[in-house]
Amino acid sequence: MSLNFYRRVAFGLSPNENPDKDPLNWAINQLDTIPDLLWPGTIPTEKDLRKKYGEWVYGDREVLRKKFKNDKHAYRKAKDELRIKTGERYFELNEHAIRHFQTKYSKQPVFERFWLFWGNHFAISEKDFLAEFSTGPYQREIIRPNMVKTFEEMVLSVTTSWCMIHHLDNSESFGPNSKKGMEWGETINENHARELLELHTVSPNAGYTQEDVIQLAYIMTGWAHKWDRKNLETGDIWFDQEMHQKGDKIVLGVKYKNDAKRELAKVIHDLATHPICIKFVSTKLCRHFITDEPTEEMIDPVIEAWNKSNGSLIEIHKAVITQAYKYNEITHKFHPPEIWLMQLSRMFDLNIPLSFEKMNYTFKSKPNNRQRQLSWILREIGNSPYRAKQPNGWSDLEVDWVSPELLLRRFWFASVELPMLVKSGNRSHDFILACLKNNFEDHENMASLIDNFRFGTSDYDLGQKYGVICNLPGVLKI
Amino acid sequence: MNCTRRNFLIGGSTTLFLSGYFPKISFASMQKKNLIIISLRGGMDGLTAVPVIGDKRLKKLRKKLILEDVLNLNSDFGLHPKLEIFHKLWQKNQAAFVHATNIPYTGRSHFDGQNLMETGAHIPYKEKTGWLGRGLLASNIIGKGLAISLPMPLLLRGVPQNNNFFPSPDFVETKLIDQIYNEFKGEHNELIKSTLDTIRQRPLSMQIATDSDDRKKLALEAAKQLKDQSGPRVAVFDLDGFDTHAAQGGVDGAHADELEEVNKIVTILHENLGQAFDNTLILTLTEFGRTIKQNGGYGTEHGYGSAILMAGGLLKKSQVYTDWPGLKKKELFEGRDLNSTVDSRAVYNSAMSICFNQDPEFLRKEVFWGDELPDLSQELFKI
Repeated sequence: MSLNFYRRVAFGLSPNENPDKDPLNWAINQLDTIPDLLWPGTIPTEKDLRKKYGEWVYGDREVLRKKFKNDKHAYRKAKDELRIKTGERYFELNEHAIRHFQTKYSKQPVFERFWLFWGNHFAISEKDFLAEFSTGPYQREIIRPNMVKTFEEMVLSVTTSWCMIHHLDNSESFGPNSKKGMEWGETINENHARELLELHTVSPNAGYTQEDVIQLAYIMTGWAHKWDRKNLETGDIWFDQEMHQKGDKIVLGVKYKNDAKRELAKVIHDLATHPICIKFVSTKLCRHFITDEPTEEMIDPVIEAWNKSNGSLIEIHKAVITQAYKYNEITHKFHPPEIWLMQLSRMFDLNIPLSFEKMNYTFKSKPNNRQRQLSWILREIGNSPYRAKQPNGWSDLEVDWVSPELLLRRFWFASVELPMLVKSGNRSHDFILACLKNNFEDHENMASLIDNFRFGTSDYDLGQKYGVICNLPGVLKI
Repeated sequence: MNCTRRNFLIGGSTTLFLSGYFPKISFASMQKKNLIIISLRGGMDGLTAVPVIGDKRLKKLRKKLILEDVLNLNSDFGLHPKLEIFHKLWQKNQAAFVHATNIPYTGRSHFDGQNLMETGAHIPYKEKTGWLGRGLLASNIIGKGLAISLPMPLLLRGVPQNNNFFPSPDFVETKLIDQIYNEFKGEHNELIKSTLDTIRQRPLSMQIATDSDDRKKLALEAAKQLKDQSGPRVAVFDLDGFDTHAAQGGVDGAHADELEEVNKIVTILHENLGQAFDNTLILTLTEFGRTIKQNGGYGTEHGYGSAILMAGGLLKKSQVYTDWPGLKKKELFEGRDLNSTVDSRAVYNSAMSICFNQDPEFLRKEVFWGDELPDLSQELFKI
């Protein structure tokens, strides 16, 4: 078995890890339990951060905008101060550190790969201040605990989470015949219903119609922020009967009797166990771990595991890994920039993310450059994880990641930034050779390409070496 | 305010229907034509950029946002003083505006609106490609799109082999590529290899390091590339910050700062395209306009109708092209926003037909699903 399996399903091997005798078992054994979060620094809760979100948004909207309505400069200054006070520029950095600490040090890196996958399947794209305050905690508190449950349970959790409801506007969706809908002349907002069908469950392959979208939106009406004067849209999610569309609904030919808040769990059950949903999501999983265009032969055993286990994610994950192992030698998979960065950090033990002591924030001045570094790098290589542009998340296809600038950014990172992240004890040529040997079959060929610089340990020399190694076809891809 | 409703839209499309479409093959059409789109994210306020003159109602509703010294366009409309280059080009028939226009989207969400301004569709997120990408593909113009951004904008998606320009903060030695180029073997490495080819063939001027937040430098390089007869035919710029809920101001407010950015880009393009400016169209794109009434923070809220700022030698003449809906309460969309009387996709479809030498009817079907979009080429552009 090639060493690239450790990158296919995880992040490669760090200098103090050795290849396992039984890589398949090594991988499969990582999926039964949820590993603890390892970040020793602050891990704020979603609810705490939502409070901060409120302080920031209302502080600006209701206070500063009025106070400085005549003076754009004073307004900007006051807004920047509020930013600092509420950590608006800090919490996302902290979330990136939590995430990358996990992928770098976790004893269950295969689990962490699935964590990244599901967070992106149920993506929260860049909207309002979600990336600043909410998307990170959503990944930790909604996605992660559900990874040892069923797919159906995960869909239900996601669909009723504050983050997704805010992201897809379900709070603004009123049943036109509901009490509030009639009183205020409001109607549905279809966004969330459409994405629940299209992206989260059955996909357009199910052949649903616009009427199905509308009917599902009716079922979903009422799941909304709990509004009050103090919290506005940052209140908890609840079911507001007065927003809920009365009457029976029909989605994909199935009738759902008028049953208030219980309708949602019923329709999600049917969507999450729909054969087309199972095939769609199984294909996405295989696409992520095996190759861009997986064959039916690759996907079928995953579908089988799904059916046998009634959608148990543990069993589904194991089937995916088994398939990834089976096809490891004959398929190729391109890795998007963030996974590439995580792999480099783990394989070469780079000094990123920052230590938790240095990540500590005082809420008194702007986060410093070092605190911003990881997030800045992610942005510069084009893959800031919680800022996907669309609700369909980041693409898993090579074709979307291979543009001139996106490739150049990898050369830039490896040759200019990476040398500054090499720990002082790891600057020798031998260290690089050992890491290569630990992770790549053709390490000798790789070493020969950087042999000219074997005596160099300056940043420039390291840049020449890493610039070459990190962008080789066998590193960009497996 | 002397504007009245005008019925030229019907006239324009009928003429075309009768005459059929016969593209002229002349020397001019053999020249490469450039189409440049500048996305103005956040909702550009058409009434700040191209204010109506002497409208009492607007003055009353926007006490704190009224512009004192607008540049003169015609008896009905003025121009924001920060849009100097447009005023200069106006004198030469190289600037024009479409007013009271928007994509057919009334939902007032940035998120959905920006998706629709790029896909050109009616339902957010339904389409995964952009109207510009589809237009290029339908016109069989491949590998001629240049995005001035790191991700490939949705607007350009749908056609393969686009280039982009958004240099990293530090210089990248492209000789690194030479050292590993031959390692890319086999079919599965073809895509990366051909992209490395594109990088290696890039002119020296594109192999720079810069602060990519400095749009001036990027515009300068874009102009250089567009000027090249064998270079890109389409460029897409991205600006944001038009969402001025507070301290929007008049001549010198927050919205003015954003318009100044547009002005800078167009100035640089004009100065550096040289002769090629004659064969260029620059158009802005936004998700919606803003409310007529100022809010408690002397800003404005999300609205509907906006304006398209246009520059370039392919414009027919200087004009404010509009079917002005009026600003009386009952004339406003939902009683609060400037209405949209021109589907802005008609403008973009017509612009593509001019720049890609394509039948607008064909593009309308290929790109916009046959939606009712009148051909405005005769009114707006040099045919």
